[in-house]
Amino acid sequence: MERSQKIEEALSVIWEEREKKITGRPSVGNSILEKVKEAMLGDLEKDGYVAQGGDSVKLTPVGEAKAKDIIRRQRLAERLLIDVLELGRREMDTSACAIEHILSKEVEESICTLLGHPKECPHGHPIPSGECCAKAKGLLESIVVPLSKLSPGETGKVVYILTAKHPQIHKLMSFGIVPGVSITVHQIFPSYVIKVEETQVALEKEIADEIHVKRMRQ
Amino acid sequence: MKIALVGNPNVGKSVIFNALTGSYATVSNYPGTTVEVAKGVWRFGGHVANIIDTPGVNSLNALSEDEKVTCDILRSDIGCIVHVADSKNLKRSLLLTLELAKLGIPLVLCLNMADEARERGIEIDARKLAERLGIEVVETVAVTGEGVSRLKDAIRKARLPHVAIDIIPGKHETVKPQEMMSLVKRTRVAENIAKSVLSVSGNLKASIAEKIGSLTIKPVTGIPILIGVLVFMYFFVGRFAAGTLVDILQEGFFGKWVNPFFIDIADKYIRSNMLKDFLVGDYGIITMAVTYAFAIILPIVTAFFLFFGVLEDSGYLPRLSVLSDRVFKVIGLNGRAILPVILGLGCGTMATLTTRILDTKKERIVVTLLLALTIPCSAQLGVIMGLLGSISLKATILWVLVLLSVLISVGFAASKIVPGERSPFIQELAPIRMPKISNIIVKTFARLKWYLKEAVPLFLLGTTVLFVLDKLWILRWLEKALSPLVVHFLGLPEKITSVFILGFLRRDYGAAGLYAFSKSGALNNIQILVSLVVITLFVPCIAQFFVTVKERGVKVALIIGVFVFLFAILAGGALNFALKHLVEMGVAII
Repeated sequence: MERSQKIEEALSVIWEEREKKITGRPSVGNSILEKVKEAMLGDLEKDGYVAQGGDSVKLTPVGEAKAKDIIRRQRLAERLLIDVLELGRREMDTSACAIEHILSKEVEESICTLLGHPKECPHGHPIPSGECCAKAKGLLESIVVPLSKLSPGETGKVVYILTAKHPQIHKLMSFGIVPGVSITVHQIFPSYVIKVEETQVALEKEIADEIHVKRMRQ
Repeated sequence: MKIALVGNPNVGKSVIFNALTGSYATVSNYPGTTVEVAKGVWRFGGHVANIIDTPGVNSLNALSEDEKVTCDILRSDIGCIVHVADSKNLKRSLLLTLELAKLGIPLVLCLNMADEARERGIEIDARKLAERLGIEVVETVAVTGEGVSRLKDAIRKARLPHVAIDIIPGKHETVKPQEMMSLVKRTRVAENIAKSVLSVSGNLKASIAEKIGSLTIKPVTGIPILIGVLVFMYFFVGRFAAGTLVDILQEGFFGKWVNPFFIDIADKYIRSNMLKDFLVGDYGIITMAVTYAFAIILPIVTAFFLFFGVLEDSGYLPRLSVLSDRVFKVIGLNGRAILPVILGLGCGTMATLTTRILDTKKERIVVTLLLALTIPCSAQLGVIMGLLGSISLKATILWVLVLLSVLISVGFAASKIVPGERSPFIQELAPIRMPKISNIIVKTFARLKWYLKEAVPLFLLGTTVLFVLDKLWILRWLEKALSPLVVHFLGLPEKITSVFILGFLRRDYGAAGLYAFSKSGALNNIQILVSLVVITLFVPCIAQFFVTVKERGVKVALIIGVFVFLFAILAGGALNFALKHLVEMGVAII
């Protein structure tokens, strides 16, 4: 692994640990050692990515920006592999790790746009938003859109369901609304009416916003 | 041996139950008909098996009340599970089959509604499916009896499933992403199996039923259809049953034949005046209880149950939720609330049980309150329609408007006061079907039987109470004591107090009393309207109150009861006040 890659990996470990509320120097150091096979904290401090001293690991503004970038690319890559290329979980984990290091800013933004500026990775972790997300705000037409953006008669294939509420996903899934199935929109007012297999389901807009589909061309 | 019928909602478990046991569990065309677990006995070749009909579930995760009930049953010692599945939704059904297969209980897959699948050009290779799952698979059309005998054979040969389901990892599926993944995998297995046994032929053109179905949920056509349905109900139940039929029965049959006959006999053979009055007096068992029950209420509920049965079996009811979701949103509910509310027009007691289909406790409490307060039950509704029909269309509209505004304002206030959350609106729509006349007749009979069993004893009790109160002069005393309230505040005659006392026992009994009262010409139009509003809003009947206690607890039930009672009186007083002043100002509303 190249030096720059190792630094990126180490920064992403710090970010991920922080999401789990782990910032203690020894434990973060261990996690880095496990992933990168090298103690990196000293180097990171020297390069100005991590603040010097203290009991907990703190990213400097430069480190923060770089870590956010790499995490964003990594999670976008995962979404791309799962949603569009429809790879399995195992292939995803190995490929995403390699892809994240070679994505340029432009490619990253176009992937993000293509996916409809997703907010969560397949593992359920938040994807840090980029410039393109702020600009887009739903103006750009992308391939992956919320179900609520489809017009009556259009069909979409479910890519992912984004909701904080557990029972809700569960309910949708038990109606057969799971990633991979095709949904046809019958009606959008006063409520959304969709059809999955031979099941007709009515739902409100807020739910239709949470179901993200790949638009199918007729 | 215990056999459990399990399956997604609205796939015909109860029809299979009826076919196996020969008894009757209510069958309708909307998810959630079975709220109480039905048990029956199936005898075959000297053996006896207990059949358990369970509420429909979409998975075994015990998130909803129905799922909890079904999971509990599956945990008791079940000898065999019959998974009743909808043939036209094979993939979705297989998801549940795979879950059931994990339980280690002999399993039979019953692919029901095979006819509907065929109509849609869907064919399933049942033999191959049986091989893939390692269990007996039978195609049935339970409503016609097709395949039922093969199902019986299959149950006798039931065995443990042998599916390669070890692909599904982990039992703990509580964390969201993991669950997504494991369910996604289960979906893949289901999809994989479905693909290998399904053949979809022919073009799946929208059938006529589907076209009708989509007309009912579009506002432009759906609202006129709804109005049409209500107008038809008004004419069939309110005018035909409560008007024509009741006239024939009450004034004709009972008034000219039955009552004179018994009065004649009583005059001839009974010495004691007390006993005579008890049987055929003003508050007599025959002249009041029996006459009200059979001459006024019975024809009305029969008509209503017939009409309602058609609505239920057509698949129309859940579709109303699409149109009504936005209205219910205002009062902190979602469109699913329309089902218990509409069912409440049939019977408030049953409807209170059906509030279980709602997802949050808050929603259940608010709907239970609205059912107790604003929704008249079938018998009551029929009598009310009969009375309103005798005044004017304007009065009918005014009555509807008063009730709707109470529904919305009380609902709105309740949604602000009752703590908790509104759940998002997701509702499965049942397919539109041609109702089967035989099922509607059987269902109507079952309901009438239930109705008579429950209502007639209370009618007898209520009459006895009135009789005793009357004989002990307590009734006079009550009428006097309540006179400021009844006469001055509500503007009604003193005598009507007895009607409200009946209303405590059963709302329809109160309404029937009102009906008889106003037929005698004792009330003017304003008085009829005011008393109708009071009796509609008035306390729920005893049965509904007990079910409310059972479902919501004593505290909530008591609060609801007291609130409803006070609110009914206040609303009646306010209406009386408003109408009188309008008349004085020269505005005749009705």
